[in-house]
Amino acid sequence: MKILLPAILVTLALLSGCATTNQRVLDAGDETQLQKRSYQSRTFETANKEKVLRATITTLQDLGFVIDRADMLLGSVSGTKLDGHQVKITVSVRPKGSDRMLVRANAQFNVEPINDPKQYQNFFASLEKSLFLSANAGE
Amino acid sequence: MRKLALLGALVIAGCATVPENTFVVTPELLQQRQLETRRYDGLKEQDLIVASTNVLQDMGFNLENSETKLGVLTASKQRDATNAGEVAAAIFVALLGGGSMAISKDQTIRVSLVVRPVNDSNGHAMSDSHFVRVTFQRIVRRSDNSTYSETLNELELFQDFYERVSKSVFLEAQKI
Repeated sequence: MKILLPAILVTLALLSGCATTNQRVLDAGDETQLQKRSYQSRTFETANKEKVLRATITTLQDLGFVIDRADMLLGSVSGTKLDGHQVKITVSVRPKGSDRMLVRANAQFNVEPINDPKQYQNFFASLEKSLFLSANAGE
Repeated sequence: MRKLALLGALVIAGCATVPENTFVVTPELLQQRQLETRRYDGLKEQDLIVASTNVLQDMGFNLENSETKLGVLTASKQRDATNAGEVAAAIFVALLGGGSMAISKDQTIRVSLVVRPVNDSNGHAMSDSHFVRVTFQRIVRRSDNSTYSETLNELELFQDFYERVSKSVFLEAQKI
């Protein structure tokens, strides 16, 4: 026991030391860019960017996020949720064709990216409710 | 003792997974929405935002970001966070020989305020009826430089805040 615990700690430190800075910067994991985009995006049948952005802000507030910044031109909204842990999210809204809006979200939990498609599914389900529109598969 | 602390740290690190309903609107969160929102009639969105900015300044907040096209304001301030109860507890622990206990030192208080138009029965945005929704967070730094953070949800805080907004709206409407 006396040796076991330090040994575990050292192994853990070594393991986490394996990811290089570049990998951390690029967040290069097992998934392809396309996979990531597909679960992080949905399209909505509306051409009204402002409506989608305002609904996004409302949804984030409903979820307990404090809005950090928003930009109408860029179509982006960022927010932070603090509840013992920290969740940060950025949502971008941009036109797709002339009659649809593409919404994309990426989030992090403490110092980890959120890569679970289920979490994004939940987010878009919440957004659907405040938009009164159904979300379609993105990209 | 040290071993125990290490083990504790490991266990905590293992527990830190994304909570199941991080992105689900629960009934508790809907209740929070009621608490955080007020409706104001008879004012244009721009005037309501200006009135709100004034309230935040009254409260000593520094404006961080704003996007008036979306009715979003964010602001923050740094303040002292020591409180008598915690200091007393720390002294008590020290007297009992428990060593020095970390107490709250200072805090960053963040606020975001969002104004959005009320929709009429046809789903169109009204030009002179709006919802104001405000949310507060604070990040507290303890005397040992550790931090903890929380979202504020006390009824009194929001009542007091919206009383100030109402006053400010009145002043704005009278152009005082």
